[in-house]
Amino acid sequence: MKKFSKIAASVAFLSVGVSAGALHAQTAEVLHWWTSGSEQAALGEIRKAFEAKGGTWVDTPIAGGGNARAAAVNRMLGGDPAAVFQFSIGQQLRELADQGLLANVGDVAAAENWDEKLPPLIVKAAKYDGNYIAAPINIHGENWMFYNTSVLETAGIAVPETWDDFIAAAEKLKSAGVIPIALGGQPWQERIMFNSVLLGVAGREFYAELYSTLDDDLLKSDTMRKVFETFAALRPFVDEASPGRNWNEATNMVAKGDAAFQFMGDWAKGEIIAAGIEPGTTVGCDFAPAIDTAYIMTVDAFAFSALDGEDATPVQALMAQVMLEPDVQIAFNKKKGSIPARLDVPADSFDVCAQTAIKTLQDKETHLVSTGLFGVPSAVSGAIDDSISNFWNSADMSPEEGQAQFQQAISYAK
Amino acid sequence: MCKSAAETTDVGAAAPLETSEYVMAEPAPDALQRSDERTITPPSGKRRWRPQWSAGVALIPAMTITIVCFYGFIIWTFVISLTRSRLLPVYKFTGFDQYVRLFANERWWTAMQNLAIHGFLFIGGCVVFGYLLAILIDRGVKAEGMFRTIFMLPLSMSFIVTGVIWQWVMNPGLGLQEAVRALGWTGFEFNWIVRPDRAIYTLAIAGIWQQVGLCMALFLAGLRNVDPNIWKASRVDGIPAWRVYLHIITPMMRTVFFTVFILMSAIVMKAFDLVVALTGGGPGFSSDLPARFVVDHILNRQELGLGAAGAFVLLCTVIAVISPYIYFELKKERSGRGH
Repeated sequence: MKKFSKIAASVAFLSVGVSAGALHAQTAEVLHWWTSGSEQAALGEIRKAFEAKGGTWVDTPIAGGGNARAAAVNRMLGGDPAAVFQFSIGQQLRELADQGLLANVGDVAAAENWDEKLPPLIVKAAKYDGNYIAAPINIHGENWMFYNTSVLETAGIAVPETWDDFIAAAEKLKSAGVIPIALGGQPWQERIMFNSVLLGVAGREFYAELYSTLDDDLLKSDTMRKVFETFAALRPFVDEASPGRNWNEATNMVAKGDAAFQFMGDWAKGEIIAAGIEPGTTVGCDFAPAIDTAYIMTVDAFAFSALDGEDATPVQALMAQVMLEPDVQIAFNKKKGSIPARLDVPADSFDVCAQTAIKTLQDKETHLVSTGLFGVPSAVSGAIDDSISNFWNSADMSPEEGQAQFQQAISYAK
Repeated sequence: MCKSAAETTDVGAAAPLETSEYVMAEPAPDALQRSDERTITPPSGKRRWRPQWSAGVALIPAMTITIVCFYGFIIWTFVISLTRSRLLPVYKFTGFDQYVRLFANERWWTAMQNLAIHGFLFIGGCVVFGYLLAILIDRGVKAEGMFRTIFMLPLSMSFIVTGVIWQWVMNPGLGLQEAVRALGWTGFEFNWIVRPDRAIYTLAIAGIWQQVGLCMALFLAGLRNVDPNIWKASRVDGIPAWRVYLHIITPMMRTVFFTVFILMSAIVMKAFDLVVALTGGGPGFSSDLPARFVVDHILNRQELGLGAAGAFVLLCTVIAVISPYIYFELKKERSGRGH
């Protein structure tokens, strides 16, 4: 009797499985690495809009970008792909497309005219063989400088416009007993600061050409040496406990007034808001000192597994369409701290920093890519992080040595 | 050859572990005697075929898993290391290109050098401190059970937790350095974790703290296994205790040292979580270890080929370093047993 009821139960379970299969047409499993509070809230906006259109969202969060990317790929190879998964756009995604593992959402993109509305560099990175294989949903900026306005006022210094100004200001702050730069000493954070220096000293054209060509002559140039000299000059301005520190702890140092500046992506705004400060007031935001105006972009995107040939299934197409709807873009990006990937959505409901960013990006000359996730192949990206971090942390390494090491690391990785 | 090696290591490992049960409970005299008998009993010369056959059959699943999961994947890793695979395995062979890239990689050499430093300090530290603690407890301290528990306690924590605890303790801004300075000794400095030239030593500190209890337990089990008559004889001869330990007991404990060495080397080779939690390989990549290098390149950098090359070189290094010692130990044991 007991055995029979067990069998009955398992039959009932199976039939539930079958009916779930019938519902499959509306269901999309979404694999992502957004597990923190603000990220969850932001993604919740997309989920809400998707469900309002009749979709069923199956959430699969996996903590840590590396883990989530590995899980997405492993499941694809194992024949059980998540319909929609977060991934970085660029070479790695194209490699998946090479193996026929991705579906394209070209129809939605054509209907919504993504080509016109997204920044050209992002369009290029999100396409494979002329078709979109991912939906880019936001733009984060990496060349931001956050500063504590009251600390600057007390020390009597203005927001620096050039790196020479900055170094002079930092000297002053240091002698006043304030930590000039709050730095989280992890390779990617050190690289963000380095790229800000590179952009600020060498200019946007140099930056764009350097990272798109990875050319030896540029890497060996005098301009590059000046970049390394400036970067090395910043070493004395961080505190001793910097190595290993998380970025949000560094942001809090600025919010509390223990430190004056932080060079970080605009996700730091989330931490500032969490500390009860409206970005642009006590903690100000500005672009890092530079000789011209530019915005180093990094992008969050979702890609689509090939479930039924290379065209997206209706539910995948629906997801892509929802993700780039203007209303969803606004709601999502306000919670995420980024700006919309579409440059045509109205900016007025965003905070001051985001408004500046949206306004800046209207000029295509300002568009630059980060070396972090999609600007360069991940092997090169890793080599850049390693050599920059090694240079920064070896106080006795001269700018010439640092430059040579940087050039060598890139040439082996590319 | 391979099989007999496995058998003999088993004996080496099993003896102290088994007797440790007696130590934890009351060391009954007959138990000691029994284990004495065990070592004296000569191995039976006759080969009985039937039980061996059935044992062989029982071993088939384990052997299959070993062959496929260990040797199969070692070969596969080597094959991958000969390709230009990035995110996915691609079987386009490029010869030893990945090895050339690996050997030109400064971070790899830092990691290998760190492995040597860490291995030497960690294994050495665990052996020395574990043995000393075991001797102190063996000398009959009061509240022996309490001390044993205290020394064993860190072992119940994972390397991740250990890493986080020590990261806080050694952080110059909020840990030990700050605490001592707050007490008035403002010149006090303990900032190894943020110094590229010292960060690697912090790994050994945290690692020893965690594993020393296990080593102590193994050594203690070995010490409890020593024939009490030896102590009586040495007392009659008036030999000081430290000399008995140094010249008589320590040589008798060879199998325990061997066990501890093998266990600790395995921990060193796969050390990954500790470095991730404690220093994150930093500052820069000054405290990186090969295992972390490999995982980082395979999972985060989509450099499957380079990571596989690193894994294979690591394996070769391990074999080159460990095998002479194992060979030496086993040879000695075998020739010792013949009589």
